[in-house]
Amino acid sequence: MTVSRRAFMRGGALALMSFGLDPLFLDRAAYAVAPLRQGAARGKTLVCLFQRGAVDGLSMIVPFSDAAYYRDRPRIAIPRNRVINLDDQFGLHPGMAGLMPWWRDGSLAVVHAVGSPTSTRSHFDAQDYMESGTPGRKSTLDGWGNRYCQHHTEHVETPFRAVAFGPQLPRTLAGSAPALAIDDLRTFGVQNRGGSQDRLSRAFESLYQGSATGLLATSSHEGFEAVRMLREADPSRNPAANGAQYPAGRLGQSLRQIAQLIRADLGLEIAFADVGGWDTHVNQGADQGQLSQRLGELGRALTAFATDMGEHMANVVVLTMSEFGRTVRENGNAGTDHGRATAMMVLGGGVQGGKVHGRWPGLATEQREDGRDLTVTTDFRDLFGEILARHLGARDLGAVFPGHTTGAEAFPGVMRG
Amino acid sequence: MRPPLCLLALALPLVSPASAQAPLSARDSAFHVLNRLAWGPAPGQVDAVLREGALAWAERQLGVARVDDPKLATRLPERFPVLALRQADFIQLFVAQQQQQQAAARAQPDDPMRPQPGVPPAPGTRPANRNELRDLGSQTQQLVLARATASEHQAAEVLVDFWFNHFNVFYGKGLVRPYLHSYVEEAIRPNALGKFEDLLIATARHPAMLFYLDNAQSVADGAVPPNLQRLQQAQRQARRPGQAARTDSMMRRAQQRMPTGINENYARELLELHTLGVDGGYTQGDIEEIARILTGWGIARPGQGAGFVYSAWAHDRGAKTVLGMTFPAGGGEDEGVRLLQALASHPATMHNVSAKLCGRLVADAAPDGCIDDAVSAWRRTGGEIREVVRAIVHSQDFWAAANVGSKVKTPLEFVLSAVRAVGGTVDDTPRLSAAVTRLGQPTYLKTEPTGYQETQEDWVNSGALLNRMNLAMALAAGLLPGVSVNLEAVIPRTADRDALLDAIDARLFGGKLSRNTRSAIAAELADIRDPQTMRAMALGLALGGPEFQRQ
Repeated sequence: MTVSRRAFMRGGALALMSFGLDPLFLDRAAYAVAPLRQGAARGKTLVCLFQRGAVDGLSMIVPFSDAAYYRDRPRIAIPRNRVINLDDQFGLHPGMAGLMPWWRDGSLAVVHAVGSPTSTRSHFDAQDYMESGTPGRKSTLDGWGNRYCQHHTEHVETPFRAVAFGPQLPRTLAGSAPALAIDDLRTFGVQNRGGSQDRLSRAFESLYQGSATGLLATSSHEGFEAVRMLREADPSRNPAANGAQYPAGRLGQSLRQIAQLIRADLGLEIAFADVGGWDTHVNQGADQGQLSQRLGELGRALTAFATDMGEHMANVVVLTMSEFGRTVRENGNAGTDHGRATAMMVLGGGVQGGKVHGRWPGLATEQREDGRDLTVTTDFRDLFGEILARHLGARDLGAVFPGHTTGAEAFPGVMRG
Repeated sequence: MRPPLCLLALALPLVSPASAQAPLSARDSAFHVLNRLAWGPAPGQVDAVLREGALAWAERQLGVARVDDPKLATRLPERFPVLALRQADFIQLFVAQQQQQQAAARAQPDDPMRPQPGVPPAPGTRPANRNELRDLGSQTQQLVLARATASEHQAAEVLVDFWFNHFNVFYGKGLVRPYLHSYVEEAIRPNALGKFEDLLIATARHPAMLFYLDNAQSVADGAVPPNLQRLQQAQRQARRPGQAARTDSMMRRAQQRMPTGINENYARELLELHTLGVDGGYTQGDIEEIARILTGWGIARPGQGAGFVYSAWAHDRGAKTVLGMTFPAGGGEDEGVRLLQALASHPATMHNVSAKLCGRLVADAAPDGCIDDAVSAWRRTGGEIREVVRAIVHSQDFWAAANVGSKVKTPLEFVLSAVRAVGGTVDDTPRLSAAVTRLGQPTYLKTEPTGYQETQEDWVNSGALLNRMNLAMALAAGLLPGVSVNLEAVIPRTADRDALLDAIDARLFGGKLSRNTRSAIAAELADIRDPQTMRAMALGLALGGPEFQRQ
């Protein structure tokens, strides 16, 4: 069931007026019911899925035609007959077989050998750089997702424009533009033990309306508005559509709630979720085992999300990302150590899918970075930038990725231009 | 722009600040100083400071000989066993944990949940098993809250927080974990009221910082460690093929672990964050030269004490020039010390660090007059921190009506001031720390070297405010996990709404609760009969309301 965002905004603003709002907020409410334009009018959403801990891109998207792959990974290579062929050069890990319908209909693309220009192999630094969007610069205060929101303000103002699922706002969305961290849609808001939640919420609201000034006033208005919009839309009552089955666990729950929020049409433009467990130094496994379980969960969660979204998927792009890849050669513990480039997946509407993008550098020793790791041939900022530009309609990528020049000629080509 | 009150400013220590500036009453001054130079007023404390005089109280706070409150220091160790441990104990535990994990990895090769050896988990990576080190880590976090709520040396604890944040390290990065406790106890706390130069050098030489900003990995270009030199020699002399193969594999392992070349991370943050500031007039060339000067500053192996070590083999012995200072070829460890001393008393450092202190203690946009006062005290005393802070507290900006109540509390300040306001006691579980984490400011877990920001834009957002309201309601009902509170002693139950609101106003707001807030709360109490429910509602709304978010 879909209710238009515009109707919500208007209903919300009317409801608020009865509480005697200050003019500042009425301005913003009026802004909210102004005609929708561009990206927001199209209702486009980008879902970022951060695989924290550095996923082994060579097991996720297998370069099975490269002899070095089997030579250097005697115990952990995905057997040739278990790889799901994508394009006779690369194949999908069998745990993600459920995604094949989207590959075949051209809405799933892969970028291989993507990563950061900074060669750090520290999780901490590399995650930080990928989220700030300024590799090599530690003092950047905000994230690229937030800078996008700061510099593209023609989109409709809604408290749900940038939402991270988890207890805290990730670096990607941190910054001066409003962004929400939601641990669980069902419990977001003011909790009242044994009393009425609405009543307590209204009590705090009247307190802030009367006595708050400046940022405390505007932010609290946004918060109460978000709570009210959620209450009215009640997105969590919607069952998953089309028989979608989300896997148990945090990732499945996050994607399920992102789908609910998109369907509630509350203006969600950038959603963020993360999933850990990729740091497979020991006994990584091949088509079975540790990494296989994680990839299986990821594949089932993405499959469920795309199934659930159905035709809404035309307005959604899911982008997976990870701070770096892992060594080509397996280590003494049948695992892999911190490497350089990895693979990222792009799933959704407008995707130039059914194709593995990016220049493949090869796995021969002399083709590797430092003789050991998959060489980075696509700067992650060019991939992120392309999706921001061609999916969300971003124009000022220089402000989103300061110090980096990107554009059509640098884009890997994952979106239909 | 400074008001023409120079003569009065000189006289300030002798008179009450209220008499110098009309808008602030003596009670307002007491309330204000407790919000800025303490973690908020505890029950009865506004009255006590009122009797003593706000400036006299501040003088006494800044005059303490040591950061530790001796009364609290004798009580804490039985609750926090971590206080009895030294750096060496942590390293021992860390090494033992790694060995245990490696053994476990060998013992159960098919268990996917087995912890990985060596690398402590970064966010999203596999967590280590619950173990002693982790318990000690959560004690270290919780200790911050226990000290800040209960210490009589409030100003000192505020400054400890300020300096840790200024010289931030991230607990989740590798070796910072076993070194954090010693970093706090041995580098930050003993120097928090001392000389800035000593504090700077203590942080620069501490393994936590050397690891966090990668200086321990920074070696002169082409430098080869002694063990690799020996291997290279053995390889040249090897006669039998088996022997050569063995040295080959040892060499490969040694080379994999070997740091290669200069790492500029610490040098960059040293200038940008710790000393001169981003506009401090330095160049990329200065950063590179500083990185060369600090090559060789590293961490000793566990068998050799695991503390600071200077490795001559890693040091770049060439000549260097930084900010016009020359360091002739052939220098060693001493040139790093000389550099840090020069940076500590550089005019840009005085200005940058003073401005940051004023931003914390006075107003988000640090007023020029206050910065000037701090810088002249710095110049006069050679960077005695207590004198610099004293100058800030004596500056007119500190007491200016426009700055009172102007700053929004950080999550940590909000939680601590709320707990102190109701006379709460923090237990030794990690539960209150978890609450601070939920509000977005996990202790010792700021990944970036910038530390947490001080300005309201970083803390005020809609989700965070809702979380603050929830925390306030829980605390007011006596149900906040990790805190025990005797509400009856602070705000006695009463069926008289006005009496209840009077008590909350007097005890928590220094008598400054706005009419709006008061009537909004009163309206909510209208149909509540039970005095206990009434108190919980009134107190929760007051603590979660907009006025308590400010200081």
